[in-house]
Parts: sequence; structure tokens; C-alpha cells
Amino acid sequence: MHLPDGFLDAKTALLSTGAAAAGVGIALRQVRSSLPPRRLPMLGLAAAFVFAAQMLNFPVAGGTSGHLVGGVLTAVLLGPSAAVLVITCVLIVQCLMFADGGLTTLGANVFNMAIVSGCGGYFVFRFTQWLMRGQGTRATVFAAAFAGWFSTVLASISCAGQLALSKTVPWSIAFPAMANVHMLIGVGEGLATGLIVLAVLRSRPQLVAGAVPQAQESGLGFVSYGLLVSVGLVVFVAPFACPWPDGLEAVTKSLGFSERTVHPLLNAPLPDYRLPFIGSATVATVVAGLIGTVLAFVAAYVLARALVPALKTPKPK
Amino acid sequence: MHTPELNPCPRPTALHRASPRLKLAVAFVFIGITVLMPRRPDPAYLAPAAVLLLLWPLCRMPLAYALRRLLMAELFILGVALLSLLTPAARPIFLSALIKSNLCVLTMLLLTWTTPFQEILQVLRRLRLPSVMLATLALMTRYVPVLAEESRRMQRARASRTFSPRRRLAWSTLAGVIGQLFIRSADRAERIYLAMCARGWK
Amino acid sequence: MSVEGAVRSAKGPDGQGWALEVCDLTYRYPGGRLALDRVSFSVGAEECVGLLGPNGAGKSTLLLHLNGLLPEHFPKEPNIRVAGDPLTPKTLDAARQRVGLLFQDPDDQLISATVFEDVAFGPRQFGVEGGILRSLVSHCLGQVGLAGFEEREPHRLSHGEKRRVCLAGVLACKPSVLVLDEPTSDLDPRGRREFKTLLQSLPGAKIIATHDLELVVDLCSRVLILDEGKLVAEGAATTLLSNEELMLAHGLEKPHSLLHRHPHGRET
Repeated sequence: MHLPDGFLDAKTALLSTGAAAAGVGIALRQVRSSLPPRRLPMLGLAAAFVFAAQMLNFPVAGGTSGHLVGGVLTAVLLGPSAAVLVITCVLIVQCLMFADGGLTTLGANVFNMAIVSGCGGYFVFRFTQWLMRGQGTRATVFAAAFAGWFSTVLASISCAGQLALSKTVPWSIAFPAMANVHMLIGVGEGLATGLIVLAVLRSRPQLVAGAVPQAQESGLGFVSYGLLVSVGLVVFVAPFACPWPDGLEAVTKSLGFSERTVHPLLNAPLPDYRLPFIGSATVATVVAGLIGTVLAFVAAYVLARALVPALKTPKPK
Repeated sequence: MHTPELNPCPRPTALHRASPRLKLAVAFVFIGITVLMPRRPDPAYLAPAAVLLLLWPLCRMPLAYALRRLLMAELFILGVALLSLLTPAARPIFLSALIKSNLCVLTMLLLTWTTPFQEILQVLRRLRLPSVMLATLALMTRYVPVLAEESRRMQRARASRTFSPRRRLAWSTLAGVIGQLFIRSADRAERIYLAMCARGWK
Repeated sequence: MSVEGAVRSAKGPDGQGWALEVCDLTYRYPGGRLALDRVSFSVGAEECVGLLGPNGAGKSTLLLHLNGLLPEHFPKEPNIRVAGDPLTPKTLDAARQRVGLLFQDPDDQLISATVFEDVAFGPRQFGVEGGILRSLVSHCLGQVGLAGFEEREPHRLSHGEKRRVCLAGVLACKPSVLVLDEPTSDLDPRGRREFKTLLQSLPGAKIIATHDLELVVDLCSRVLILDEGKLVAEGAATTLLSNEELMLAHGLEKPHSLLHRHPHGRET
């Protein structure tokens, strides 16, 4: 999901860079105040870890393979602020060493992958844990897997919003395409995240920040992040996220988009993801997304149940 | 994905020796101008293209290397650009995005080919990037090869005990390797902290 | 060969003060397990002492105490004296400069992007900069036989070269006591020989924790044996190492070079 140069116009690039800078600024302040010096080398090693982990290939159907992105994984293991810094550093190296991802779109990529996916994913993780009423192994694995899926989709929506705001790709095409594709990709990411968190929990549970009941980061930090992610999504997504077809038409007219008609049958690359009696592809994708969310929620729960047996009572000696 | 070869430039040329600050600034301005060019294929595109094609032989970047990297970038470029193809009115936007994007990737390739990341880190340091991030970037580039080697060893060890290439097993094996890699990285970070303190770091 | 009393003479074996004194050192791991149990010993200014013991005996833990990396909270009565000065939180900086610690895995100590940067890391913490720093770094690299390696990258070095760069980095802090944790592990025979020759050329006190018994025979005049956190034996190297019963009792063995040699016979 690394946006290359040339896809965002100046205003979107500036807006997203500003949002990214704000997020990184919050993360820096949190890290400076709450991270003990003993843990500072961990940031560098975690960044190296994410990079090295991305080099490993997970086999997918038919001879293809995918790799972990690791935004939510980093956040579950290190906490949101450290994750934001680590992912930002990984993106900087990918851009300035491997020309992967554009220079002018670095801000947008940082916003999408470090802040929406990493930090936002952490909130989803924590919320899901809270729903499960516990921080036991099973709840943590389940929450990590679901958050991995959800934040992948969320980040792709943010990306679609940026593309649409730049008028590069109309929202009615970008949103269904990005969201649907990433609903699929997110399955792999969620599964991998859950499995890896489980592996770490089994050997060294104290290393998983998300499993340790803590209030290390200040409440103000959480509020700032929440605000930032919400504002960002509002700016990039809200202009387009009108659920009513009429409302969508009105918005596109007022914003002066060049393309007009949308042919639902052509747009969604995966027709299975659309329900045929709904007209606009956008609405169809939203509905599909909601269904997908429920499905992912259930799947993550089933996965966690299968992987983590219920606590056995200790055998009497 | 990316190879762990973090510094691919073997033979220095004049461009290699140029000031990294200058190169980074020129790349940034160049990409900025290219991105701001009109949103339909325009003769103006020839200008940046010509500059890049002139600079390329000067820094002796191998064609195979450039094509390989461009191919990886193409995946996203084409993917997104194709979406705009679906509406006929957007075809000029598609073509323009395609060309501009590739020009920018080529610019970045030339920059990364002629400028080792350590020099870029120096520029970032002078630009007053926060010290936490500089330290993280420095440690990251130092330890990626170490961790890559560790993960290779672990994978080989696991593979030597795996007989059926079932996908489900491959996923849990790989997840185990990555989990172990994280634990070892955390332990190593502890030891690095101790080693730094032993030499007077505070 | 039992544990010596805690009372020590004020002077070392060669008439000068002790370089390092450890007195009744006890340490428990955070979980509560006893790691070190009233360990006491001293090292003279030019002595080379070997620290032996089975795995898990607490050797590495003991070494971490010698320059103040452990314990997390210092006791009121300092257990360790460096050149006569007690090791307290206030004297930590001076202690870290005087006691140079070489870690077992060179990749843990080699953190910088180039050899120069890494060797310069230590002196920089103590305020050395500029031309003095550059000449210090090249002097230390010369000492370890790596002259001209300043611009090399760590991940391209061989294991032995990495070890030597780490040693140069420690020497750059100009310590008076060198503490080495398994310095010859993972080295091939030639690397081992070269490192041994290198260590022999370095002045000052040395404490070497190792499983390499031949190294101890060649370099160390005195040996300490640690087992389960207790100092179970202390004495002249050849005497202790020739005591097969003692060695086997503590997870060690008689070195091959002493197998056919009388303990009071020819010394190396």
C-alpha cells in the first residue's frame, strides 16, 4: 500500500504530511516521557525486526506468496507510540534506501500505515480485548487477529480517500476497489498477526505490551491519537462516505469531479462481494464491509479458540 | 521482497561523490516539479525524462537493477492507474499518473544508487530529525542483516524437520520463526543497552 | 583450596594496590533465585585471572557486577572496589572507564555503522573529540591488528575481526582492568591463537571468564572456580587445573596440555 509519487496532488500530500507529522510528534512526546532509557535500543531492534519479518514469505493460494506488513503486530507488541515511530522509520528506510514508496507521498504513507494502521489498529485491539472482558492469551490473540484485519481495511480506506481527494481516482472506484482487495489481504495480515502474537505469548508474555495491564502512556496521549485518527479519516473519507446515492451525487457535483456515471457491474473486481440488488458500488462496499467485519470478528474468535485451549486446572501432585 | 543488501553501490562515480545534501534536495525539488506538472500527458514531461536519461549513464546504475525495482513499483502504479482507466474520461489522468510516477521512481532509484543510506542519515541529522528517530534508524540499518541471518538460520532449522509442505503448517512455522525473532531481538536490545552503558553511555 | 576469608591484605601480589577487590558479593535474580553467594576475591594490577565454572554458575552475572551494570540497586555497603575506590552510584562513571567489559557476542557490542564510529563510541562518552579521537581510534585499531579498518562496515567483518573491533572499542576507554566474557568462543584455531597473542600483549589486570582451558593455562597465573554462585576454589592456575578431581566435580576437566605434566613442574 505504499503510494508512489504522482498520485496525490499538492494539497492532499501537504494535508497528510501534516497529519503524519502531528502523529509522529505525539508519539515522540509519549516515548520521551514514558519510555525508560533501557528500552530505547528496542526501538531500533524492533524496526530491524519489522523489516526482517517483511522479507519472509507466507504461501498463499496457487504458488503466490504474501508478506506481513506488521503495523498492528508492532503496536500490539510495543504499544502505540513506539509502533508509530518504528513504522515511520521502516517507511523512511524503504523510501530513501529502496525507492519503495514516493518521497512526496511519504507523509501519506506514514499516516496510513503508522497512524491509521498501527495506532488505530491498537485501539481496535484494545477495544476488542475489552469486549472479550479479559487480557488472557485467547482474548489477546483474538483481538490481535481481528485488529490486524480491520486496520488493513481501514488504512486502505484512508488511502482511497487520499486518492479521491486528489481527484486521481474517483471515490466510487477507489473505495470499492481498495476496500474489497484489502478485505482479502487483511485476512492474511490478521491471521499472521494472531499467530505471531500467540507465539510470543507462549514464550515471553511480558514482551507483549498489549497483554500487560498497564497505563504507561498518558490518557492525553490516547485522546490525542484518537482525535488525530478521527480528524484524518474525516478529512480524507467523510467527503465521500455518504451512504445515500443521492447524497453521493450531490457531493461529487459540488466538488466538481470530472467523471459522472458509475457502472456497478464493472467496478468491483470481486462481484461476489456485492449484493446485486443494491445500486451504487459505494453502498455495496459499505454493506460488504460491515458483513466482512462481522465475519472477520467471528473468524478471529474461532481461530483464537482453536489455537488457545481453555485454561486447564493444574493436575494434583 | 527487498534483499538484505543495504548498500548496492560498488563503484563510485562523480555522482556518488557529490554532496548528499545536494542530491537529496535536487531529488526532492525534481520530484516536486514532476508531480506538479499538468494532469494530462504533456510535452513538458520530456524535460525531466531527458534529465534522468542523461544522469543515468553518469552513475552507472545497472539496467537489470533498475528494471527490477521499477517492476516492483509498477505493481501498485498499474493497479491504481488501471482503476482510473475504467472511466474513459479518466484516461489522460491514468497515462499522466503512470508516466509521472515512473519518472519519480527513477529519480529515487538514481538517488538511492548514488547515495549510501549512512550519508542520507547524516543529512537527516543536520536537518534536526529527532534524536530518537536517528538512533532508531541507525540501529535498524546496523541490525537488519543480523536479524535476516538469524531468521534464515531458524527457517533452515525448521525446514530440516518439516516433511510435508502443507500451507497450514507453513504458516504456523513461519509465525513461530517470526515470534522467536522478536524475542531474540528484545533480548539483544537488552544486551546492547548493557554494552552501551559499559562504555559510559547514559 | 576452600573459600578465602574476607580479610585481605592491602597490597596486591606485586606490592602495588589491588586493581579490583570484590568482597562478600551476593546477588539474587528478580525471581528470587540466588545467583551469587558471598563471592570474594581480588585481582592485582598486572595479574591475569581465569574465571571458570559450569554453565549457569553465575560467571556472566559476576562480570556484570564488576563495572556496575548490576545490581539494579546498589547496597549501602559497596561490595566492589576499583583501584581502592568503592563502586557506588556516584563513582559509576569512573568505574566504567577503569573496568572495560568485553561481551560474549560481538554483535551486541558493535552497534555503529562503521568500525571508526564504534571504536569512537566509548571515548566520545567521556568527551574526547576531534583529532585526538581520530588518533586514539587508529592507535587502538593498530593495537588489535586492524589498522586501516576505520571505514569498514560491521556486518561485513569476520567473527574474529568483530571481536577485535569490540576489544579496540574497550581499549579506547583506557581501562586499567580488562574483563572478558568467553573471548575465544566461536573462533577458529587460528583466530584463537591470534587473540591469545593479542591478549598477552596487553598490559593491566585481566579477568577472563572462559571454557577454553588451554587459554587459561597459557595466560592466567591464578584461577577462580565458580559453581552455583559460590566461589568454590581459588589458587594458582596449574595447581588447580591439574587437580582432576576438583575440575570434574565442578563440571570442568583437566586441560590436555597438563595431562602429562606434573603440577609443580615446568611452568609456561
